[in-house]
Amino acid sequence: MDIQPLIVTPVKEHARVPLYDLVIIGGGPAGMTAAIYAGRAALKTLLLLGATPGGQMSNTEMVENFPGFPEGVGGANLAQRMQQQAGRFGAEMLVDTATAVDFSARPFTIRTNSQAYLAKAVIVATGAVPRMLGVPGEGEFFGRGVSTCATCDGFFYRGKKVVVVGGGDSAIDEGIVLTKFADQVTIVHRRDELRATKIYQQRAFANPKIDFAWNSVVEEVLGNEVVTGVRVRNVKTGKPSVIDTDGVFVYIGMVPKTDIFRGQLEMDEWGFIVSDEHRRTNVSGVFVAGDVQDYLYQQVVVAAGSGAIAAMEAEKYLGEYPLSEIETEKQKSEPPGVCEE
Amino acid sequence: MAMLNDAVREQAAQFLQELPHPVRIAMFTQEIECEFCRETHQLVEEIAGLSGQISLEVYDFVADKEKADEWGVDKIPAIAIVGADDFGVRFYGIPSGYEFTSLLYAIRAASTQETDLSEAGHQFLSELSKPVHLQVFVTPTCPYCPQSVVLAHQLAIASPLVRADMVEATEFPHLSIKYQVMGVPRTVINETGHVEGAAPEPMILDKIAEALAGAEE
Ligand SMILES: Cc1cc2nc3c(=O)[nH]c(=O)nc-3n(C[C@H](O)[C@H](O)[C@H](O)COP(=O)(O)OP(=O)(O)OC[C@H]3O[C@@H](n4cnc5c(N)ncnc54)[C@H](O)[C@@H]3O)c2cc1C
Repeated sequence: MDIQPLIVTPVKEHARVPLYDLVIIGGGPAGMTAAIYAGRAALKTLLLLGATPGGQMSNTEMVENFPGFPEGVGGANLAQRMQQQAGRFGAEMLVDTATAVDFSARPFTIRTNSQAYLAKAVIVATGAVPRMLGVPGEGEFFGRGVSTCATCDGFFYRGKKVVVVGGGDSAIDEGIVLTKFADQVTIVHRRDELRATKIYQQRAFANPKIDFAWNSVVEEVLGNEVVTGVRVRNVKTGKPSVIDTDGVFVYIGMVPKTDIFRGQLEMDEWGFIVSDEHRRTNVSGVFVAGDVQDYLYQQVVVAAGSGAIAAMEAEKYLGEYPLSEIETEKQKSEPPGVCEE
Repeated sequence: MAMLNDAVREQAAQFLQELPHPVRIAMFTQEIECEFCRETHQLVEEIAGLSGQISLEVYDFVADKEKADEWGVDKIPAIAIVGADDFGVRFYGIPSGYEFTSLLYAIRAASTQETDLSEAGHQFLSELSKPVHLQVFVTPTCPYCPQSVVLAHQLAIASPLVRADMVEATEFPHLSIKYQVMGVPRTVINETGHVEGAAPEPMILDKIAEALAGAEE
């Protein structure tokens, strides 16, 4: 029986807007690693964990490729360890979601549902969320057969049939997880070969519960009260068909979570935040780490690595541009439109 | 072996450090035919040991049937979190995994009677005229679920007309089937209404209003 990390709550009692050396937005491996480094550098640090402390790790059954865990480590367990490590070095942590930011003047303002914070430097580590298919029925049946979290919902498919959409690591790995519950897992993939790491491929091909619908795209999720099937089309032949299923798990990639930074941070056409190799954005004093700036690798170890870089760069930056106390006081006395409780 | 490791115990103790008012944990258990009663009992025992403001009462679901009826407990393991009042805050099934967080929040909110609800939320609750029963179905491995549970429990604490249960779906498969739970979190409102996913406060309030209006027709 596992007990997962304690989530800490926003404290609503600040009489004025608190000022931090560094506010890290996002509590996945990138943000947590940044917090470990910032804490050790004795920066007054706030880590905003958002709605999913631990980030994507917290719904990953097993992480097998994070060094130091030869037997693999449960994603939730790894998240818990990182969170404890960040806490140990003094980072304050809140389960609060940034809803707006103002990066136009220092100190920067980060607003959440309950509170505003000022920061001399910021690290954006808001990660990515599952890309959805965008086909009819998907939204309607979300939570009633359509899911993006096998670890959360696998239980409900005991003895049933499920479809997994995608061909990358997540799709194949989570498809294998689902065979613990479901009798049959059909992987629907738009190409005729998988993109997933070889070891996942070998396991999937060897698993008698897994079969494949190659060259196929899902065009509609079918059902009445709950999901009953998916309508797919073969992209080679154009032929449509229906696969009967009780559940649809969507793993077709991730989209970066960058809406609140639009107009302030430079992004590429996909919405990934643009940065240089020091993880500096177009705003001096704002750094970025993890999947939110990484369309290539999207791995825990890479996200953690970039979190370390961002924190080290933020420390250096704060050394060079400390922001004088007077300047800070002036700013603090007129926080832009902040309502106090 | 202890349920809470040292680090988690320390965090929990810190979280429960300054409870202003006493909180009672009433646990309902049974010797047989209850897979997680023993673990749940141990968990609440360890929690009760973390703060002088927390007291623990343990009841037998069969022998203490009167008590169970009084608190509306109809399945086990069950935990009622009772502050100055019985706010209707319940946990059915063990609050392990991510739900451990929901348990700590419930204890703290029952003590402080403070919630994070918005002004609009309080307004909505003050205009309620009919009882609302929220059942939030969860699995212990669902990182999004505590959001829904904490919100439901806060609504219960803020309004005498609302009661709210966490229901651990894997321990009550017949209820998962009855309420067609295919994914978590799923909040069932007064038997008929439901919300999928970790819906924010305004959406839950809309759905409650909808369910109440629907029941009137
Ligand atoms: C199913 C699955 C399996 C995977 N398996 C592996 C694996 O085996 N090995 C591996 O290396 N990688 C794996 N990955 C990829 C890996 O999990 C990601 O690359 C990694 O988590 C990215 O970390 P991150 O910190 O950049 O972002 P995320 O993990 O996405 O975390 C983002 C964080 O930001 C927070 N947040 C978002 N918006 C806000 C806001 N407005 N305010 C405050 N906080 C906010 C969220 O709550 C969250 O805490 C897997 C991914 C998935 C989906």
